[in-house]
Order: sequence, then C-alpha cells, then structure tokens
Amino acid sequence: MMANLSSLLLSTVSTGKPENFWLSEQASTVAESVDLTFFVITWICYFFFALIVALLVIFAVKYRRTSHDIVVDGPTHNTVLELTWTIIPLILVVVIFTVGMKGYLNLREAPEGCYEVSVTGQKWTWTFDHPKYGATQVGELTVPVGRPVRLLMTSNDVIHSVWIPDFRVKMDVIPGRYTSLWFEATKVGDYILNCTEYCGKDHSAMLAWVHVVPEEEFEPTMKKLASEYEDMSVGQLPAYAINRLYNRCQSCHTLDGSESTGPSFKGLWDRIQPGNVEFTSGEKLSSMLGEATVYEQPENYIRASLVDPQKHIVKGYLGSMPSFQGQLKDKQITAIIEMFKHLRDVTDAEGNIIVNTDGTPRQ
Amino acid sequence: MTTLNLNNSSDNYLNHTKGICSWLFTLDHKRIGIMYLVCVLIAFFLGGVFAMLLRFHLLTPEGTMMTQDQYNQAFTVHGAIMVFLVIIPAIPAALGNFVLPIMLGAKDVAFPKLNLFSWWLWVFGLVFFLIALASGGIDTGWTFYTPYSIDKASSMGGVIPALIGAFILGFSSIFTGMNFIVTIHRLRPKGMTWFKMPLFLWGTYATAIIQVLATPVVGITLLLLIVERSVGIGIFDPAMGGDPVLYQHFFWFYSHPAVYIMILPAMGIVSELIAVHSHRHIFGYKFIAYSSIAIAIFGFLVWGHHMFTAGQSQLMNIIFSLITFSVSIPSAVKVFNWLATMYKGSISWNASMLYGMSFIFIFGIGGLTGLYCATLATDVHLHESYFIVAHFHYTMMGSALIGFIGGMHHWWPKMTGKMYSVLWSRVGWAMVFVGFNMCFFSQFMMGSKGMPRRYAQYIEMPQYQIYHIWSTVGSVIMALGFVLTLLYLLHSIFYGKKAAANPWGGRSLEWQCSSPPPWDNFAEQPEVGDCYDFSVLEWNEEEQGYDWKKDAVHPGE
Repeated sequence: MMANLSSLLLSTVSTGKPENFWLSEQASTVAESVDLTFFVITWICYFFFALIVALLVIFAVKYRRTSHDIVVDGPTHNTVLELTWTIIPLILVVVIFTVGMKGYLNLREAPEGCYEVSVTGQKWTWTFDHPKYGATQVGELTVPVGRPVRLLMTSNDVIHSVWIPDFRVKMDVIPGRYTSLWFEATKVGDYILNCTEYCGKDHSAMLAWVHVVPEEEFEPTMKKLASEYEDMSVGQLPAYAINRLYNRCQSCHTLDGSESTGPSFKGLWDRIQPGNVEFTSGEKLSSMLGEATVYEQPENYIRASLVDPQKHIVKGYLGSMPSFQGQLKDKQITAIIEMFKHLRDVTDAEGNIIVNTDGTPRQ
Repeated sequence: MTTLNLNNSSDNYLNHTKGICSWLFTLDHKRIGIMYLVCVLIAFFLGGVFAMLLRFHLLTPEGTMMTQDQYNQAFTVHGAIMVFLVIIPAIPAALGNFVLPIMLGAKDVAFPKLNLFSWWLWVFGLVFFLIALASGGIDTGWTFYTPYSIDKASSMGGVIPALIGAFILGFSSIFTGMNFIVTIHRLRPKGMTWFKMPLFLWGTYATAIIQVLATPVVGITLLLLIVERSVGIGIFDPAMGGDPVLYQHFFWFYSHPAVYIMILPAMGIVSELIAVHSHRHIFGYKFIAYSSIAIAIFGFLVWGHHMFTAGQSQLMNIIFSLITFSVSIPSAVKVFNWLATMYKGSISWNASMLYGMSFIFIFGIGGLTGLYCATLATDVHLHESYFIVAHFHYTMMGSALIGFIGGMHHWWPKMTGKMYSVLWSRVGWAMVFVGFNMCFFSQFMMGSKGMPRRYAQYIEMPQYQIYHIWSTVGSVIMALGFVLTLLYLLHSIFYGKKAAANPWGGRSLEWQCSSPPPWDNFAEQPEVGDCYDFSVLEWNEEEQGYDWKKDAVHPGE
C-alpha cells in the first residue's frame, strides 16, 4: 500500500520542477524525494487545518452566546470518538515517518564512485580542495552535472553548516571530526551554498556559489585552476593573488584601510619593510630585520605570519588567525608577498579590485 | 451556601497591608504572582524592543540600521530574554502563583518563603543578564553553542554573566515547580480527587514535573561551560579534547522539555478558557488530563531531533524522528477535545475566548508544521532556516504567549477587581492575531525556499526581501496591538467597572471568592463539586456576574 501511495504521489512530482509556492527549484537527484515527502505532509496539513478552522468558525458563529442563560446540552465525552481522533493521526504520522525515513536514507547513502571534494569551513569562508586535480577553490565550488559528488567536511574553528537549498542537502561542519554529504546536480547553473550554523560576526556573508558545469567543461576548468599560477611570471602574481587567494583573507583583512578582526592590507608593505610594527610581546619588527636576526628579509616575516601566525601577534589584535601551513604552495606565498608589494596596482583607493586574474583591467 | 457568601468588606489582598516592603517581602502567593506578572511584562517589553530592531533591520538585504555584531547581539538578547525571563516563568510563576492555590481552595502554596525566594532569584537572574549586556555584550545566540561560546576571540565578554543569569533563573524555575508539586499533592481540598482538578492544574502539574527533572541538567551544563570558558578545562572544545556536539545533547535534554514547560500550562489555560466561555462541560476530561502527562513524558525522549544534521548516526536520527511523532498524538487529541467542547456551547466572543480560539488556530499551524520538522527528509532541508523560526514562534509565542495573554484577560477581573473594555479588548486581540500571522507566516515561505536564520544581511538573496517586508509590517501591527492591550488594561485599573466575584460564570474555586480575593482567600476551606458543571449557575443582572442557582444543591450540603 505504501509503495502504491509513493508511486502515485511520485508521478505528480516530476524531476527538476521549477520554483513553487513553498520550495525553490529542484536541482539535484535527491530533491525529488525530499519534495515528495514535503508535499505528502503539506496535503495532510491542508486537510486537518481546514477541518480545524471550519469547525472553529462554524461553532463560534452558530453557537455564539445570545443570552446569559446557561443551558447544558451535548455529551461530556465519547470514548469511540476520542479513540478515533487518537488513532487516525497515529496512522498518518506512521505513514509520514516512513516516507520521511526513506527519503532520508536516500539523502545519506552516497552511491559508489562519487567525485570527492574536501571542504574546510573557517570563519567566514569556505575552502574546497579537489584532491584529484590538486586544485583549490575559495568561495566557489565547480562540480560536473550528472555525477554524484561527495563533500568530506571539517572546520578549523567553530561549528558551521553547509546548506544548498536547491539541492535540499545540509550537514554540519564540525571542528575535530569529519562529516559528509553527497548530491548529484541535475541542471547546469549557479546555486547558492549558505552557512546555516551561526558562527559569529560575518555568518551571513559565509556563502559560496556552486557552479554546476557540463562534464566536458569540468576537467579543463580543474586543470586550469590547479596550474594557472605555475606558469606565471612574478609580475603576473599580484593579479592572481588578489583574485584567487585574497578571498580567504577578506573576512578579517580589509583593502581600504578600515578596521576589522586583523590589520588592513592597505599600506601593509610600507609598514613592514622598515619594521614599523609592534607586537603584543612589546618587541618591534625592526629589531628582527637585517643581518643575523630572526627574519633578515621582511618577506620572511610575511611567510611566517602565514604558516605560524601565533608567533608574533600585532599589538591591538587578538591573534585569531589560523595557520595556512600546507594549504598554500610556495609560489602562492610568493604571490601573496608580491600582492602586498603591488597592492596599488591591483586595487583602487576605496579598496576595490581593479584587475582580473589574467591581469586585464576589470570593468 | 457558605462558600458563596462573599467577603463584602473592602479588605482584600491589594490593600491589606501597605508600603513597598509589604510587597517585596510578602509571603502571599497572590502578591508574588502580581510581582511576577509586572516583571514578566517588563521583560516582554524589553525582548519586544529587540525583536522590533531585528525586524526593522531586515527590511533591506543590506540591513537598515545595525552592524553584523549589533544584529548578532540583538537576536541573542531577544531570544535569551524571551525564553528565560518571559515565556518560562509567564504562566506558572505569574498566573499559576496567583490562581493555583485559590483553585485548590487553599490559603497559599505549600512553601510561601520558597515562593518569595523564587521571585528574588528571577530578579537576580535579570540583574546578571543586564551585567552581561554591560560587560561586552553577548552574541552566542540563546543556545550558547560550543565551541563558539568558549572561544574568547569570537564571542563577546558577557557570556559568563549571561550563563550565571540563566543558571540562577533555572533555580527560580525549579523552586516554583517543587512548590506546585507539593501544593497539588498536599493541599487539595476535601472532595477534589485528581480527576476533579481543573485542567489548568493538570497542565501546571505536568509542567512542574519537567521543571524539577530537566532544569538541573541545563544547570550542570551551563556550569561546565562556565568552568571551561574561565579555567580552560576541555569538555566541549575539540581543541582541548572535548566534544562540541555533547554540549548540544546536554543543552537540548533540557531545552526540548523546556518547550513543554512553555506550552503545557498554556494548554491548561486554554482548557479553562474554552469550557468557561462556552459554558459547556469540557469534552473528554480524562483524555486531556492524560495527554498533558503523556506530552511531559514523551517530551523527555525527543531531544535528538535538534541534531538531525549534527552528524548523529543515522539510526539515532531514525529513532528520534519516530519518538518525536509520538508527541503529536496527545497534542491532536487536545485540539479535537477543545473543538468538541465548543459544540452546542454558548460561546462568548469576549477577549479571553477570542484568545482561546486563536490558540487553536495558531497552535494548529504550529503543531502541523512540527510534522515537517520531525520528518527526517524534510527537516534536513528546513533545519536552521526561517521555516524553523516561524515554527517555534507559532508554538512559543503564538501558542504559549497567546495562552498567557488569554489567561491574563480571563483572570484580570479576579486579580484587579476591575473589568476592562469589551470593545478595545476585541480590537487589541484582532491586531495581535492579524499582525502575528502576517509576521510569521511569511517566514515559513522564505524558510522553505532557502532563507537561513540568524542572518544579519541577505545581499545575495534579494528575492526574500518581499517576505521580510511582510513580516516587518505584521510585527508593527502586532506591537501596536500589544501597546493597545497594555493601555486598556491599565485604564481598567483606574476607571474600569467593578468586577463581580464571578463575571464569566466559572465553576472552579477561584470564582467563589470575591474579586479581588481577600487576604486569606477563603474563611474556611470550600467544598468542591464538578468544576465544569455550569448548570448550577445563573446570571445576576444587578452584580453583572453569576450566582449559585437558588434551587441547585451546593456541594457539601
């Protein structure tokens, strides 16, 4: 009976339905069974709500008090009736539970041979690593259409949560352990990915876009992403860093000089080079630059700040920066250093980025 | 007829003794109830101001008036005030304190000093919340989820004072619960067996059991959090070897039963409202009484449904989903029994009954949308979205608080001895009802489409702006309705007509002493009959209230 009911209802819900009154468009294979469950419940709700409101309004109008006389009429209980309205809801919730459980198992059981992506949540950016291609994306995730994708996720700080509404999938991202979710996108397009576990100041800006691309575009995109900086000359690196790497920094470091969780990047190189930076320990950077000192070259200080940020914390800040050791290749660190040196060439006075990754001016 | 001989002297609990200290250190349950009522309403106003700030801020995708940090503080403070300082104490501590002993024909609760101590603890709890606001604020959400609440670099300095405040308020709640359990067991009058109690007492009793059993768990959890944050012992922080999801289990082991601390007494009030204002014997008394106890018991077993996406095992999720559905059955039973009570009744359209009927309407939506949240496949999608925000406002605010306001209108003549304006109370109700539904129904729609909760901005999702505008307009109508309600209630204290002992025609014992009640409630313990048999009452035009019928036999004679 259950199977019949399911297939009957399934036939009314076709794959990839567009947005309707309650739900956004369906863009993954699991969306269908989630929406089926949603509409089974919705119709049960419509029926019972209509029944309740109809009785409420009819009784309130029909039996409205017309005089102060108290007339006692009607039964005070009826066991058969009361058992009826206990048992019918009981049967219905068992049906709902079963449909919902089936949909859930469908949602959780990833098929064999998924394309794997490692996801790291960190206040307030999403980083996506493609182990197969050695490519890293920040704030955007490119996946092929029609192929199951599994996200293996962890957090560097507090609990986050990945939600892609059009795919109907969600899973918390927890520090100190791995969680996973899977989906198979059914339509080419861009879909929003939200953080849905409250994580502090910029929680509402912790978004990423999922780019679903045709299979034949996917591999070239990944290969380009993985190697685009390798062939670049040093002069091309600032444009690359500001477009591809800065989005991991932007939640704490501004480009326009305004205050945030960390020091602004504007004018950073001009402060570092002569060593005009004071640390919470009371030491000054200038005492660490030059022959036979900790850093010798100011570039080494930037490198140390990326791989071991707790070593020297700039005075006035809390030191909440995580380490990027192992996440950045040497040439990418060089790119960041070059970006600091040439920040005026890639941003304007208000901190807007003015070049594309390939160095062409941005419109 | 002895119990109906009203105490006609002007001496009552309001004027028996004078001076501010005769209130602040009173042991009289009625005065303590009134003090709770005033405090809860002040806290409700405070929490409401923050709610309006949130609603106005969300009028545009960029946010109109606050920084992200300010927004995060505003929703935290709104939630913490409304949960800990308003909804949990509103019905048991404010209305329950006033009504419960009189309904039992008793002179006071079992432990009057403990009762006063509970109120003082509430005040200290409030003080710690204010300290939290002054000492750097608090932005963790009212749930204090770890490890965010432990990380000093991210969450603000007011976390520890707020935790201490919530801990103290927990004790206030435990003491009230203990007091009510003992009072109901020990002080019931002759003839009032368990199944002759008014249903409000069943609701309060079930609530008290949860308060006493569940609140200590959150107390311990909050203490552990304080220890972890101040001394750095790793219990919940994975960086120190702890488990952040363990915190969620501890927290919801209390906080899910706590939603029944909010709703059960409201359901008790609604049972009284529907029966008294329909002048019809409550339909299926035993089913309603048992359903309160069933909800209290099942409520302890469902906390895991708050963690369907927190990495719990699939088997755990399936078990918690199944048990969660069990709560829906006793809730449905209550709704149908209330409707059957109205059948062939004499339904008054006064404010109390209008609030009682809107409880059925709003709880209908709040309860039915709970089905989506209990169902695994749909909850994964809806979790932490505005759909959840709408669902719990329909139950915690639209049901629990509407029940409280309905009860306040029901017992207002008893508490103050004055009648409020019929017309203005209907206008106020209509504004609250329409405003509430506008405010929160639109949130269901944007939530199921994809709007996450606790978002200070929604710049990349401008399609939700229209729903936010609807929601904000609704909240303004609702807020004006509450202001109007406050005005006509205050007006009634000074200019209202004098209330009869029994203006609505109620049968429970509180309607058998004068309005307002005398200092010691009853000169002698009254006898009780069937508290839903209204046939023995008749209207007295002169008093504008109900009297015992001349030819009807009074219990005890």
